[in-house]
Order: sequence, then structure tokens, then C-alpha cells
Amino acid sequence: MTQTQPALSALLARRRLGYTLEAQFYTNETIFRQDLDFIFARHWIQVGVEPDIASPGDCMIVDIGPHAIIVARDDDGGLRAFHNVCRHRGARLLHTAKTNVGNLVCPYHQWTYGLDGSLLFAAHMPEQFDATCHGLRRVHVRSLAGLLFICMAETPPDDFDAMAQTLAPYIMPHDIRGCRVAFEEDIIEHGNWKLTMENNRECYHCNAAHPELTRSIFAEGFGFAPVGAEAEAQAERFHSMVGALHRDWEQGGLPSREIEDLVDRPTGFRTERLPLEDAGESETLDTRVACRKLLGKFSEKRLGALSVWTQPNSWHHFMSDHIVSFSVFPLTPETTLLRTKWLVHADAVEGRDYQCANLTAVWRATNRQDSDLVGKAAAGIRSSGYRPGPYAPDTESLVEKFCAWYVGRLKIGLGT
Amino acid sequence: MNETAEPTASYTVEFTVSKRTVTCDATQFVLTAALAAGIRLPFTCRQGICGTCKSRLISGLYDMKHKGGIRPHEIEQGFFLPCCSKPLSDLAVEK
Ligand code: FES
Ligand SMILES: [Fe+2]
Repeated sequence: MTQTQPALSALLARRRLGYTLEAQFYTNETIFRQDLDFIFARHWIQVGVEPDIASPGDCMIVDIGPHAIIVARDDDGGLRAFHNVCRHRGARLLHTAKTNVGNLVCPYHQWTYGLDGSLLFAAHMPEQFDATCHGLRRVHVRSLAGLLFICMAETPPDDFDAMAQTLAPYIMPHDIRGCRVAFEEDIIEHGNWKLTMENNRECYHCNAAHPELTRSIFAEGFGFAPVGAEAEAQAERFHSMVGALHRDWEQGGLPSREIEDLVDRPTGFRTERLPLEDAGESETLDTRVACRKLLGKFSEKRLGALSVWTQPNSWHHFMSDHIVSFSVFPLTPETTLLRTKWLVHADAVEGRDYQCANLTAVWRATNRQDSDLVGKAAAGIRSSGYRPGPYAPDTESLVEKFCAWYVGRLKIGLGT
Repeated sequence: MNETAEPTASYTVEFTVSKRTVTCDATQFVLTAALAAGIRLPFTCRQGICGTCKSRLISGLYDMKHKGGIRPHEIEQGFFLPCCSKPLSDLAVEK
């Protein structure tokens, strides 16, 4: 049976509000390429953290679909980003995840670029060759209190500063720049990148799927609405904790209230400082801090977990003792890279201040469980029996907001 | 011997892999002396920019004027750039 695929604009126009997207959005090669063009090449994409490139000459590479990017720290401590492509014959300049370089030297014919991207040296080129026209192609890069974002568009969305102004006071006290990446994990999930994001935007599945994570977190902090007497009692307890703790935290100078602006702006985001269960200190198996050395200037351990989300591809949890930072990169229509980084105070020593296994236990387990769920969702969606299904109005309202943002941004991209 | 016209100091540079030893004046770059003696070493820019000539020094002192072709941590690990380094003593280079 051959059927002509409806154009993307027609699929977007007929999207049923409050329902999962049609299968093509999760499987189709053309739509995947349009996601890369309209979403990933035109928005602010979260790619890492400042401690990834702490010192002058530090470089990290990030691949987003067909886009190969270098993010670098220049000799003045500034941030730079370029396409990871030599201007001579196009070879990839850097091949390892993180390196420290003096200049960027192409391994093919040693064309050499400064950390500002300018071409410093190219042997055998004629006298009239203009090196100034052959610098590395630049990519915009910004830091939001230590979270690194790039934008490949010539003119990036102009709302980054507004987002940063709102979120920086929440994030700054955790002092990302004073941290070190203690552990990093890449997982390849077997589903479209949107399934990875949608799975993150609800905690409907948390209770059944995440025994480790739900020792500390409350599903209610991520949109979960209670059903039944016990769940309602639990939700009431959660909301009274939110009330009391937000008051305490804000009096102590830590912004905590929810701010949610996920749908109607190019750089959608959400944040809230959320209480944790029991000891209330950290997202660990015993809900206590995993690292003795607290972040920034903190002396109080019980600061809950600050949740920060950015559209289209990141979420982060900031606690008093460590930070877990998640970035999502599409690989193919049905595979996605989930990159997770655990950050501790730069001076924290493994074995003395923290045990890596304890630090990472909850989220390594949770990532595996989520990855499994994404794979199962993808497997059903690619089979012929799939039809879009309804989101629970409250419990999955934030998933709907992800889809609404995505559909809205594609429509703007297509000019429809 | 004329006491006033002091001859330029001259040192030996031993290349331990190719098992060749050359002489190199204190005013001469190590790469230049090696190439003049017919030793084939990798190089591109000859200005300390590209790092192509980067080599490990086994022993000796040198004066290097590079332009970003090598990192401080590489120098600490014993690497140098023969294209922009002059000897201050006899040298042994792992090449
Ligand atoms: S040949 Fe370029 S640094 Fe020596
Ligand atoms: Fe999950």
C-alpha cells in the first residue's frame, strides 16, 4: 500500500489538542530533518555546563544531528562556539569529547585557527589567498549562570536574556562555575527525541517506574494530580510543605516559587524549588546529601531540589550538595542521546567527601528506567495499530505544553 | 685563538629514535639544524603555531618562542616545538 504523506503543515494543522502527536512525528525521516532545521538549528540548545570547559584552551564537541559544533574557552576566559568543520576541505577539526588545545589545528592539512576562530596559518596557499575570509563559521554561545547554550541561527531568538534574568537568581546560589563534573553518562534511547522530552515532562509514570527516584521526589512537583483519598492526603502534605519551605527558602535568599513560561516564547522554560521527602536534602537513596562539601556558600543541607527546564532539550536538578544536568540530542528519527552530568563542588574529593556510586545511584537507575519506557513507547508508536491518545488533563498538562510549544515553533518555522 | 670574537656556543642534539646526532648553534632552531643534516621531521608552519613538529624532549635546556602551538600542560609533560626552539645545552629528543 502506498500513501502519499500529508505535508508537515497539514499534519500540524490537524493536530488534536491534548493528544499525543501522530506517528510520523516520531518516525518520519523528513519530519526529523525539519525538527533539526526548525527546532535545533533555530533555538537556544542547552549543550553542557561551564565546568566542561573551565580553562583557556578547553574545547568540547557537541553533535546535533548533522551539526558538528565546538564550544571553547578562549585565552581571555570568554566562551566561543564554531562549526567543527575546516574551511579548507571540510574535515572535522576535533574528534574527542573534551580536549585542551593551543590553537585549533586541522588534522588533515594543518590549517590552524586561533581560539577566536580566525585562520592563523594555511601552508601552500597563494599570496592572494585571503585568510580573513576563511575563519571558522561561528555559532552563538551563551551561559545562563553556568549552563551553556548555543544557537546556530544567524539571528538567534532574542528572548535569551529575559529567560536568563528570570532563572539566574534561582540557579546562581548553586554556583555551577565553582563545580566540577564528577561523572558523565551518555545513553542512547531507542525513540524519537520528543519521546525523551515528553517522558521527562510528567511524573504519571514515576510511582510505578522509579522506586529509587520516588524515595526523594514528589510526583506532585511535576504536575501529578492526586486521585483517591490517600493520594489526596499526600498531595495536601506536599502542598503544605511547599508553602512553608518556599517561605523559609525565599527568606533565606533562595527564589523558590514556580515560574512557568513553556509555550508562548521561543526559549520556553519552567522552574520551581521543590521539597524532597524524609531528610529532604538530596535526590539520593537515603534523601541525605551525597557530598559533604556543599555547593557555593550553602551551609543548609535541606534546600530541596531546584527544577529547571528549557525547551527544547534540557532539564536540571540543583540541590545543596550536587547538580544533575540533562541534555537531549537527536541522533536519528528513532534514536536519541541523553547526556547526564553530575556536578559537585570543585574542591570535593571522591572517597573523602562523596562516593561516586552513591552520588549517581538514583539518576543512573532512573535514566535506565526512562530509557526503557521511551523504547517501549517508540515500539508501539511505530506499529500500525497506533492512534494518538489523550493526555491526562492535569497530570500530563506539562507534556501537552511541550507538544504545544513544538507544534507552535514548527508552524512559525514553516510560516503557516 | 682570538679572545674577543667569541664563537657562538654550539650544542649537540641527539635524536634517539633515528639514532642520529647533529650540531646546533645556540642561535639556530633545532628543526632547522635537523633538516640541514637531512633528518626528516614533521613540520608545517615553522612558527610555533600549528604544533605539527611537537616532540618529546628527553634531556636538555632550550629557549622556545611559540605562538600557541603547544599548551603549558604539554610543556610540563616534556614536549616542545623544535621549529621555534634554540638549544641552551646539549639535547636528546625522542624522534
Ligand atoms: S611546525 Fe608548526 S609549530 Fe612547529
Ligand atoms: Fe521518568
